[in-house]
Amino acid sequence: MRVAIVPGVPALRPEYASIEDPVPELRAAVAEATRWLGSGRLVVANGSAKRTEKAPGYFDDRAAAFDGALGAALRAGDLSGLDLSLAGELWADVAGLTELAGVRASEVQVDYDDAPYGVQYWVVRWQCTP
Amino acid sequence: MTLKLGRRSFADDATLMMAIVNRTPDSFYDKGATWAEDKAFERVAQVVAEGAEIVDIGGIKAAPGAFIDEDEEKDRVVGFVARVRAAYPDLVISVDTWRAPVGRAACEAGADILNDAWGGADPELVDVAAEYDAAIICTHTGGVTPRTRPYRIEYDDVVASAIADTTAYARRAIAAGVDPSSVVIDPAHDFGKNTFHSLELTRRLDEMVATGFPVLVSLSNKDFVGETLDLPVGERLTGTLAATAISALAGARIYRVHEVVETRQVVDMVNTIAGRRRPQRAIRGLA
Repeated sequence: MRVAIVPGVPALRPEYASIEDPVPELRAAVAEATRWLGSGRLVVANGSAKRTEKAPGYFDDRAAAFDGALGAALRAGDLSGLDLSLAGELWADVAGLTELAGVRASEVQVDYDDAPYGVQYWVVRWQCTP
Repeated sequence: MTLKLGRRSFADDATLMMAIVNRTPDSFYDKGATWAEDKAFERVAQVVAEGAEIVDIGGIKAAPGAFIDEDEEKDRVVGFVARVRAAYPDLVISVDTWRAPVGRAACEAGADILNDAWGGADPELVDVAAEYDAAIICTHTGGVTPRTRPYRIEYDDVVASAIADTTAYARRAIAAGVDPSSVVIDPAHDFGKNTFHSLELTRRLDEMVATGFPVLVSLSNKDFVGETLDLPVGERLTGTLAATAISALAGARIYRVHEVVETRQVVDMVNTIAGRRRPQRAIRGLA
C-alpha cells in the first residue's frame, strides 16, 4: 500500500491562486507525490504554525521540538509512541495522522521538508507492506 | 478579442500602460523637458524600466500654438521613432498624429499605432494604418479642428456622441482594411469637451466599454482634473489616479499616462478588486 502525507495548505487551491505562486516547490512536491500515490491513501497533515514571530500563530518555543519529533517519526515510517498532545496548542494539523495508527512504512521518501511561512510542511511518501 | 498592436498581441484581459513621450518644446505637463532628443530617449528608457508596454510619441502639443507643418512634425518624430525601434525591438510604439503623411513615415520607421487624437481630421490616416497593419486609436472630439480649444460646445448626450463618433470611425477604419483586432476607441477627455463632459464620460465609461471595442483613456493631469480640484498642472496626480480607478473599474484597457508606476498600481489594484486579475502573491491566511 502507498501512503502520501501532504500539508493542507489553502494557497495550493485553485481559487486562491496568485499570479506568482507563493509555494511553487511545495506545489511541485505535492503534485509528484500524489501522482506516485495513484489510488493509495492520501493523508493531510502538517506541523506547527507557531514556528516564528511572523508565523500565523506567532512564535512558540515548543514548536521546533514538536516538529522535530513528528518529522523524525515520519522519516522513520512509524508514528507509534509519538506524543501529539501539544498539537492543538501549537496549531499543528495532525488529525489525519490517526489514520496511520498501526501502519508501518518499509520505504520512506521525503519530497519536501520546510517551513517557508512559519508553518512546518512535509511531503512524504510511505511504501507500506500490508 | 486579442488586441493586436502592430508587432505585439495582448490577451483580452490585459491592461496596458501607454507612456507619453513628447518631442515638443511646449507640452502642457513637461514644458519641453524631453524636447532634446536625448532627453526624450532617456524618458523612453525610464518608462520601459517602469513597465510601460507602449510609448506614445508626439511632435505637436494638443493646445493651440505655433504652427508646425508636416515636415517639421516629421523631423521631430520620425527619426526618433526609428531610434527607439532600433533600441527596443519589442516595444509598442505609438505616434500621436492626425496627419496621414506623418503617420506613413512613422510606420516606415517602425511605429505600431497611429494615435489620432483629433478624431479623423485627416481621412487618409486609416488607409495608412491599413497599409502598414498598424493599430489605430479612434478618438472623439466632437468634430473640432485640430489644436483648438473647446468653446461653448454642447452635446445632447456626450456619451452617446462619443460612442457614435468613435465607433463610426472604428467601422471606417475596418472598412479601409485595418485589422478589427487593432482598433481602439478613446472618448478623449477634454478634447472638444468642458469639464462636465469629461466627468460624465468618466462616470459612464462602462457604456463605451460595452461597445466591445477596447477603450483607451487619456486622463493624465488634464484640465478636467485640475478644474474639478482647483489644482494646477503638477498637483493633479491624485485626481488623475481617482479618475483612473473609475475607468479601470469600468473596464478601460489602455491608459495614456505621464506617471507609469502609479497608474499601473491603481489599475492592477482595481482590476483585482473587480475579480479580473489575481493578486500578485497571496499567502496571508493561506499558509
